[in-house]
Amino acid sequence: MYIFWIIPVFLILYIIRIIIGPSVWDRLLGMNLVATKVVIIIIAFASLYELTYLLDFAIVYEIFGFISTIFISLFLMERKKGGKK
Amino acid sequence: MIYAFLTLWIVGALLIIRESKIIRMIIYLGIFSLISSVCFYMFGAPDVAIAEAAISVFSTVFFIVCFEKHFGLAVGVSDVTPESAENRTNLKKYIPPVVFTIFLFVLFIFFIPENPANSYLKDQYLSLFSRDVGGENSVTSIYLGYRVYDTLFEALMLLVGIVSVTHLSRYCETSVKEGKPSDINRADIAVFTIRVICPVMLLFGIYLILNGHISPGGGFQGGAAIASFFVCRYMIYDIYDIPIERIIMVEKIIYVVVVLLAVLFIFIGLHSFLPLPQSVYLITMNLLIGAKVTCGLIIIFYRFIAFERR
Amino acid sequence: MQIAGNIIIIIGIIFMFFGVIGIYKFKNFYSRILISGQIDTVGALTVIIGIAVKHGISFFSLKLLLLAGIILLLNPLATHITARSARLSGYLAQEQEPPPHDKKDGV
Repeated sequence: MYIFWIIPVFLILYIIRIIIGPSVWDRLLGMNLVATKVVIIIIAFASLYELTYLLDFAIVYEIFGFISTIFISLFLMERKKGGKK
Repeated sequence: MIYAFLTLWIVGALLIIRESKIIRMIIYLGIFSLISSVCFYMFGAPDVAIAEAAISVFSTVFFIVCFEKHFGLAVGVSDVTPESAENRTNLKKYIPPVVFTIFLFVLFIFFIPENPANSYLKDQYLSLFSRDVGGENSVTSIYLGYRVYDTLFEALMLLVGIVSVTHLSRYCETSVKEGKPSDINRADIAVFTIRVICPVMLLFGIYLILNGHISPGGGFQGGAAIASFFVCRYMIYDIYDIPIERIIMVEKIIYVVVVLLAVLFIFIGLHSFLPLPQSVYLITMNLLIGAKVTCGLIIIFYRFIAFERR
Repeated sequence: MQIAGNIIIIIGIIFMFFGVIGIYKFKNFYSRILISGQIDTVGALTVIIGIAVKHGISFFSLKLLLLAGIILLLNPLATHITARSARLSGYLAQEQEPPPHDKKDGV
């Protein structure tokens, strides 16, 4: 399927944004976008080979990516007083 | 298609190595885990991919808690650099990854999976696992049947790690007794949504453990999913009322039971005497390993969060 | 059915491409997170709906709709928490923000 050829291009562009991103939150945003793309790749993989059980794992990937994003941003927010602007 | 992801994989690994700021390293590690789990799916190993997802969440959480405790306030916004990484020349940093990458390519070219010397053991495992151990997922049958020594030693390694964490981390009982609240500013909408998500995680963990012998999954993955429920719980309520000493006792007892069950069923061959179906052994072992992994991850997480707080 | 599904998937990929343009065009972090977060959620939802249309009415597409609901619930929230963390940490964009009527950057 053509999704498998287009999504890696997006991933490369996101990773370039993550590398040059000036702040931490740019990188966090890029990580969130990469997690969504990974979920879409797993769905396309399941659709290509008709594997229904992979969709459960797509759900759990979404939730795991959400948890790690929220945890990193909570701990960055806690550093408000000592950090520079 | 698969070469694009393999290239991205190597690029992510090189990014982690050449970065010198800790918080960026943690974020790159998350991306590297995501890409590597896609590679595992494409090679046809969903068990490993699920384990990689669980490990990525917990390594992110543990790393960020540890470095925040160690470097104090400076880790987040101002991108602290450890002093040892500054004075190194740039060229030396690239030599080990380049050598390792060349080695991997050579290995990839010369390793042919269709070689008969390589596929002999695989054919024997795949033809005999249903009779010997039972179950329908051959991975579960291998790690609970033929390779049960490995499983026992992995469980022992986790136990040793937990004991060393509880031994080495700073014990500060007063802050736990008082229930000192942290200064995390929680958003109401996030708290509400995490409350909706928590039961899904718990249910998914139990599903992974109980279906470990039929579908991809097993004790470790399900245990990590259940332990992530407790990470969510920390993000909702700011209380440290987990009885850690009791959980350590429970984990040690569970380890002894795991060793006893493996010895009774595999080495002595108890299932040939009893009129039980073979899947009972697999389900029981998966449940016990899942409970053990859950206890271990809860202990490490709450120890880092509550006891190391300055 | 196959052709309709493919068309919907291509529309979703075009949405994602807009998101990629958005994270490169704007100089301000808050503009970037607004554009990419919204467009990317819509793109993911559209691709999932396209794959569900390709499969017709089956168990597979039912699970896909559940997944679409979870993405609709969680993905904007992650964007919200990231932006809130940046704002509460006192992070302002390094570049000076243009006055609102000066530059026709976006809507």
